Amino acid sequence: MKIITTGGLLLALFLGQELFGQAFKPSKTQFMIRGYGHSGLNYEQIDDNDADLSFVGATFAPIFLFKHSDRLLFEAELEFELEDGEVKVGFEYADFNYVLNKYITVRAGKFLLPFGTFVERLHPAWINRLSTLPLGFGHDGIAPGSGIGVELRGAAPVGSGKINYSLYMVNGPVLVTSAMDPEEAGMLRFENFEDNNGNKAVGGRLGILPLSNSSVELGVSFYNGIAGDAGGEYENVAARLYAFDFSYVKQISAIKGILDIKAQYTKSNVANANYYELSPGDTIPTSYTFTNSSNAYFGQLSYRPSMASGFIKNIEVVGRYSSLSTPEGAEWEQEASQVAFGVNYWLSWRSVLKFSYQVTESVGGHGNAGSSRRTGMYAHWALGF
Amino acid sequence: MSKVRIISTLTAVFLFLVTLYSCEAQKAAASQKTGAQLWGENCIRCHNIPSPGDYNDVDWETIGLHMRIRANLTEDEIDKIVEFMKTVN
Repeated sequence: MKIITTGGLLLALFLGQELFGQAFKPSKTQFMIRGYGHSGLNYEQIDDNDADLSFVGATFAPIFLFKHSDRLLFEAELEFELEDGEVKVGFEYADFNYVLNKYITVRAGKFLLPFGTFVERLHPAWINRLSTLPLGFGHDGIAPGSGIGVELRGAAPVGSGKINYSLYMVNGPVLVTSAMDPEEAGMLRFENFEDNNGNKAVGGRLGILPLSNSSVELGVSFYNGIAGDAGGEYENVAARLYAFDFSYVKQISAIKGILDIKAQYTKSNVANANYYELSPGDTIPTSYTFTNSSNAYFGQLSYRPSMASGFIKNIEVVGRYSSLSTPEGAEWEQEASQVAFGVNYWLSWRSVLKFSYQVTESVGGHGNAGSSRRTGMYAHWALGF
Repeated sequence: MSKVRIISTLTAVFLFLVTLYSCEAQKAAASQKTGAQLWGENCIRCHNIPSPGDYNDVDWETIGLHMRIRANLTEDEIDKIVEFMKTVN
């Protein structure tokens, strides 16, 4: 009886191991869903008008990763968010990545542009230390977010530091004309799904990390291309953009925590052109022009006492200043500055409760020549997965 | 304009000082570092340092390839980091 029982147990162990081992045997190809989500409460007031208090967000941004081999990866991100009473779906990127060798990876498809670092690395809600974007990014922003094309990128050690680079060719920007949208005439739109002029925009970024501990990174980016439609009045209107970025992140024992500094300066120059406006009572539009240069910058500093004990080590304070200046004489002329302060509580390395206060002062903007002061308070919960 | 100059100057001085501090703190080139050191120094450049136990070995290989490309890490760095994550998860 004893022998039969022991034999049965051994057989069960053998079969279990075989089944278990087979069930969890890793395959050569891997599929993973990562991403992030966030939700929160916003309180916003413009000048002395009635304030808005609303639950917002419930944003869900899944990132699909398909690792075909040690060299080939496909990545794609969708973004579902509630906006203007409906579910808005964004197709953020979808691209192939192939590691050619130690120093070169080729990427093709729709990808986030390494123009500065904010869009490509820092915009996800669980990474961005504040609940809002700095001025100059997002809607009405002047920095390109994504493009469709091909890119070479990589990194290499240099001395005790390293460099990283990116060089890409994409469909490029589209110039908004008066016929398309009179209020935004002269602006650039970067979501150019089908090239409007056959001229590809060329861009790139060089990042230098001079220190062996990678705590400091300095970056310079450029993005040049024709923006006007082929065969039309604007076919020679070119856009030339550049940016500088800086990053310093380090745990410093003297201050018992992590100091994180990020900054980016973006400049956009678009060739001069004539645009048209129809004044009230007129039947024939009159032309106007302006020097089409914009700039935006932000600086952000955060500190987390990560070497403290107890719940204190999960608290982080953050401050950010940002500014946006758009062309004088444009329908979208604007001078704006924004100050934001926040306190974050990290529930884990990828889950954060963010509380922030923000004041944005601006003059101009779409069809508004006056000045405004927008104050906001935000309580958001963001989670990366 | 003078306000911008003052802020710019103070910022430049501050950045110079923290860079000096970091120069002093640096010890070895990446090729001489362990996966644990590289994990602590590189992930934090964008987000908090991830917990190794949150993903299994296979996941870390996928994440490693993704981060190598997205964060522009060198081959040596990502190989060591992934190996470290797989060892301690």
